[in-house]
Parts: sequence; structure tokens; C-alpha cells
Amino acid sequence: MKNNVFRRTLGSIKKLPLRCKEFFKDSGRETYASMCFMGVGQMINGQYVKGLLYMLAEILLVAYFALQGISDIVGFFTLGTVKADAWLGIEGDNSVIMLLMGIFAWIALGFLVYLYFANIKDAKKYADMKAFKKIPGIKDDLAALINSKFYKFALFLPLLGVLVFNVLPIVFMILIAFTNYGGTIVPPELVDWSLDSFRKLFAGGELAQSFARILGWNLLWAFASTFFNYFVGLGLAILFNKKCVKGKAIWRSFPVLAYAIPGFITLLAFKFMFSNGGPINNMIVDNGGKIIDFFGINSKWMARGIGFFVNAWLSVPSIMLLATGILSNINTDLYEAARIDGASGWVQFKSITLPFVIFSTTPVLLNQFIGNFNNFGVFYFLRGDVLSDGYFLASDTDLLINWLYRMSIDKEYYSIGAAISLVIFLITSALSLIVYVKSASYKKEDTFR
Amino acid sequence: MKKLKLRPKRIADTFLTYALLLLVSVVFLFPCLWLVLSCFSASGSIYSFNGFFPTEYSLNSFKSLFTDSFYNYWSWFKNTLLIAVVSSFLGTLLVVVTAFTISTFQFKGRKALMKGALALGMFPSFMGMTAVYLLMTQFNFINSRIGLALIYACGAPMGYLVQKGFFDTIPKTIYDAAKIDGASNLRIFCSVTLPLSKPILVYTLLTQFAWPWSDYILPKLLLKDRELWTVAMGLMSLPDKEFARFAAGSVFIGVPIVVLYFCLTKYMVNGLSAGAVKE
Repeated sequence: MKNNVFRRTLGSIKKLPLRCKEFFKDSGRETYASMCFMGVGQMINGQYVKGLLYMLAEILLVAYFALQGISDIVGFFTLGTVKADAWLGIEGDNSVIMLLMGIFAWIALGFLVYLYFANIKDAKKYADMKAFKKIPGIKDDLAALINSKFYKFALFLPLLGVLVFNVLPIVFMILIAFTNYGGTIVPPELVDWSLDSFRKLFAGGELAQSFARILGWNLLWAFASTFFNYFVGLGLAILFNKKCVKGKAIWRSFPVLAYAIPGFITLLAFKFMFSNGGPINNMIVDNGGKIIDFFGINSKWMARGIGFFVNAWLSVPSIMLLATGILSNINTDLYEAARIDGASGWVQFKSITLPFVIFSTTPVLLNQFIGNFNNFGVFYFLRGDVLSDGYFLASDTDLLINWLYRMSIDKEYYSIGAAISLVIFLITSALSLIVYVKSASYKKEDTFR
Repeated sequence: MKKLKLRPKRIADTFLTYALLLLVSVVFLFPCLWLVLSCFSASGSIYSFNGFFPTEYSLNSFKSLFTDSFYNYWSWFKNTLLIAVVSSFLGTLLVVVTAFTISTFQFKGRKALMKGALALGMFPSFMGMTAVYLLMTQFNFINSRIGLALIYACGAPMGYLVQKGFFDTIPKTIYDAAKIDGASNLRIFCSVTLPLSKPILVYTLLTQFAWPWSDYILPKLLLKDRELWTVAMGLMSLPDKEFARFAAGSVFIGVPIVVLYFCLTKYMVNGLSAGAVKE
């Protein structure tokens, strides 16, 4: 598949000169007008409102670049040259803000280039069309937005939101990984581009060793808890769906109860339950035993095990509810047909229920895996601030996300934290892309329609 | 004859089913019960408990919960409600529209969009948080509850896959029928898809509500004023000896959402378009 993409890209690059030539050969004055100034071509075509909008966009964007954008792009590379000095009253450059504004400027530049090419294409398209039929006015364009181009209209807001609040911060943090931001170097100190954090991470030493250990445990945790929770949840859904169960709603209400309680409450409650003065230790002492320090520094596997089951308690109900919903969507005719053909309950389950449920829940399974891989809450609340020997600022139950949190938010090692998260990102995204692309619900979206 | 043979097997099966049901129920109910009883503890400290349960009962914790102005629970509660409601509605709108569009239409860049969303979702969410913090300072959104709600809502479309999975199971024939009747795509979405999607709408509203309701990382980062704290932050700030007050505060915010879930479970497990299309 990769090869294909590569070949296609190469092919289109090879064809580019030819296509350009053809494009210019049969372009009229409208196209050239639009090349000189966005929107003029549309004006000539008679699409005045659209033309005006394009013109306005060009004026605004160019004004932005003249006043602010170009200096922002320069700042992106230098990350500040003037250091603040309170004695001399120099305000200085704030490297981090400069980086951020630089990213904005790049986005604006990309937007301008996109608009420019869209404008030329648009001018040509309607200039060619003008000879044959009436070209659409602004009203028709708006009408198309709710019908044939509905996807543009619908996806605009969500994409904008995701871009600002998800993509931008992530891009920002990726860039941070390649700086020396963090530790003692925070504004008003000047930050600079550097590869130090990657060097520290891979050149051996305590940091690299901790990273390898934590990654191993994290993978084990994610696989084990995802599969356990998924099959227990599915099992519960089927159990509650059985014909012989009376009062399904009542039985189902207990897991729903667990589902409905906010997670941090449950986690804090479980922490109290297993704490040294908590009820479980109370009972152990009453029966003549000794206090067990469930989350102490030496109870590695005990803490891990408790975390595993507490996590199951938290996430099984949601999977159960989802599976119940999906089970009720199965066409009951299928079962009837199977019964007439003499299929037993087990065969029905194996050949109707399971494929359908797995088909519908592959995305959920993936989400669960990602959620578990980055499960911050469980050990943050249960174990708190325990630090183990042989780890750099981490405990032996810490998942990578807990480690990162401690490194970057508590200890302010921003660039190292960002570098680690970049490495995790590469590993996990590759893994889940493979699973997703190979899964049935992606390949055959229409199977159960 | 056949019936008689099956009977012992069926009885055993039923018995086993109920035994399992009972076990499951106890496992899920017990910690909740423990928490509820704890909030009526008279002394308030966990060390005074006899095993799992308090030795003496009273309503002290609830009284102190609403009268104490240092741990101002009532204002935490109002903040949390505001943030959760706003982000729930906005987030649901965004995610449902996204999922519907990607499920129903074939357009340029669709697969790229899906893969991109998946890859983005792999990023540990809080790694962007330092950046979010800086962004919010730029937009003057620090200590802004609406700003926080906006962050939650705008993150919602990233989880569109669940909703898409649902929309994928709506038969295409329904859409074709509407199109033949002359409905535009917007019309189809509003008058065909949405009414059919009640279960997933409710599910989305709830999950979008529950997330800010119980989140503690973002508020901790963005809401600096004690006045603007959410319940999660407030409860975390309670010291150890106030276990009963923690339990009381938990029960108080737990109960509305639990009631909400119970009123709405039937939507979440209901079937969908049974009989909407006759072949």
C-alpha cells in the first residue's frame, strides 16, 4: 500500500509540467486575472459576492503578514534574540510565545496558499462553464452547501475545533521536543533548538533504562486490561440478555451504577479501602493478621493487580452497555432462520452474535486499548507519589503517562517529556493503524447494512 | 419427550445464571454501598470505622459540606454543572455531525481524515496541555469556565468512531428513499437520521457530560481561582481526616448523574430502526 502511494505521488510529479502546460494553454483572462489578484476572475465571471469575499480574504491576509506574520515566522527560527533584563528595563523575548505565534503564522501562510490555488481553479472552472450554461450565483453556492457539498458545511466547525485545541497543541509539543525548554531554561531565559532530550533518552543511563522498563509494563497492562475488560463486558451483556433472566433492568442497574459514578470518586474510594487504616486492613488486623501495605514501595505486583481489577470495575460496565445496545440491533430474523435450520445456542452465538458484535465494536476495542495505554487516573490516584528504586522519577506501577506527567508538569522537564511522548506516539499510532486498517469494520463498512 | 430431557439442563443453566448475576451485583454494589454509608459517619475519620462501616451515624458531614465557606462545595458544584452542560451540548453536536458525515458521504480526503484522527488520538492527551495552557493565556481564557467547556467540546469529535459505528448500521435504503422524495442532505440529517439516532444521541450527551463532570486534570491547570474550582478539584483538596465529607460530597454529585443514567438507560439499549424499511 505504501508503495502505491509513493508511485502515485511520483507519477503526479512527473506529469506536473505537462498539466501546467495544458492548464495555461486553455486558460482565459479570468484565470490570469485571478492569479494577479484573488477574486478578480470571479468578478469577470459575474460571481460578484464570491469575488468580493476572495478579495477581502487576500487583503486581510496580506495585511496580517505585513504587520505581524513575517516577523512571527522569523521569530519561529530564532526563538528570541533579546534576553530580558530587569535591571536595564529590557522586556526581552518570550521564546515560548514566539514559537506559538510562529506556528500560527505558518498556518496562515498555508491557508493563503490554499485559497490562492482554489481561487485560480475556481475562476477557470466557471470561465469554461460560462459558454455552455448559466453559472451559479451565491445563492446556488449556499444551497449546494446543505446538499451536494454538505460534508464541507458539516465538517467545518468540528475540524476547526480539533485543529485549534488538538492539532495545534500537539504540533507545539512536537516542536518542544526539539528544543531545550524545561528545567532551568524557561522564560525569561531564552530557549533554543536542540536535540539534547533525544540524546539523553537513547544514550543509556537511568533515563533510558526507566523508559524501557516502564514501556514494557505499559504494553502488558494495555493488552491485558483491554482484553479482560472487553470479554467480561461482552459476557455480562450476553448474560443479562438471556431469555431466562427475569427483571433484566434491575440486574443491569448494578453495573450501570458503577458506570455512572465519576471515576475519580471510585478511585479515591478504592484507595481509602486499601489504605493502611482502611477497612480491609482493619479486618486483617481484627483477625490477628498484620497490616498489609497494599500500595507501599515494596508491593509491586500487589499494587499492579489491584490497579488491574479496579480498572476492570470501572470500564467493564461501559463495554457491557455498548454491547447490549449492539446486541439489540441484530436482526432477529437471523436467529429465527438459524433456529429453523436447527442451529444450537452455541452455534448461533458463534456465527451470528460474535461476528456482529466484533464488527460493530472494533473501534471501541481500539479506543479501549488507547485509553488503557494512556490510563492516567488509576495509578495516579491509587499509588500517588511513591517513587521506586531503579527508576528515574517513577514508581514500578507508573505507566508512561504517569511518568510524563510527573516529568513535565511537576518537575518541568518539558522537552524530555515531549521527546518521550513523541516516541510513544510513534509506537502506538503505528500499532493501532495496522490493527485498524486490517480490521473488518474498516474494510467492509457495508457488510451488515 | 424432548422437552422432558431438556428440563434438568435448563434448570441448571438458570441456576448458574442467577448465581452469576448475584455475584456480579454484589461486586458492583458493595463499594457504592460502603461509600454511601460512610457519608453518614458521625466522627468523619476513616480510622474510627468498624471494619467497613461507621460506628455511629449522623448527618454532620452534609451540614459541614454546605456551610463551610473555606471548602465552598456549593460554588464548586455550580461551576461543574455549568461546564458540563455547555460542553455536553456543544460536544454532542460536533461529534454527531462529524460521525454522520464521515459515515454517510464519500468525499475526497475521507480516509485520510479517518487515519489522521486515529493517529491524533494516540497522542497522550495531556502532552498538549502545556500548549493548551499557553494558548489559553493568549486568548485570555485562564480562569474562564466557558473556555474550559470549549476545550472539552472541541475534543469531542476525536472520539467520533463510536457514533460512526452506529450510523454505519442505519440501512442506506432509508436515505435513498428520502432522496427520492427530494430531501436535501441537511434535511435528511435533521429529519431522518436524528430521530433514528436517539440511543446514540443520549449515549453521546451522557458521555460528554460525564467527562467534564469528573475530570480533574484540565480544571487543575486552567482554573486558578478557588472560587472557580470544580467539585473534582475541591474533593481532592479535602484532607484525609475528612473522609466522611469526601464521601458526602461524592454522593451528592454522584446521585444526580446516577439518576440521569438510570432514567436514560432504556435509550442506550433500545433497538433502532426495527421495521423502518420493509424489503
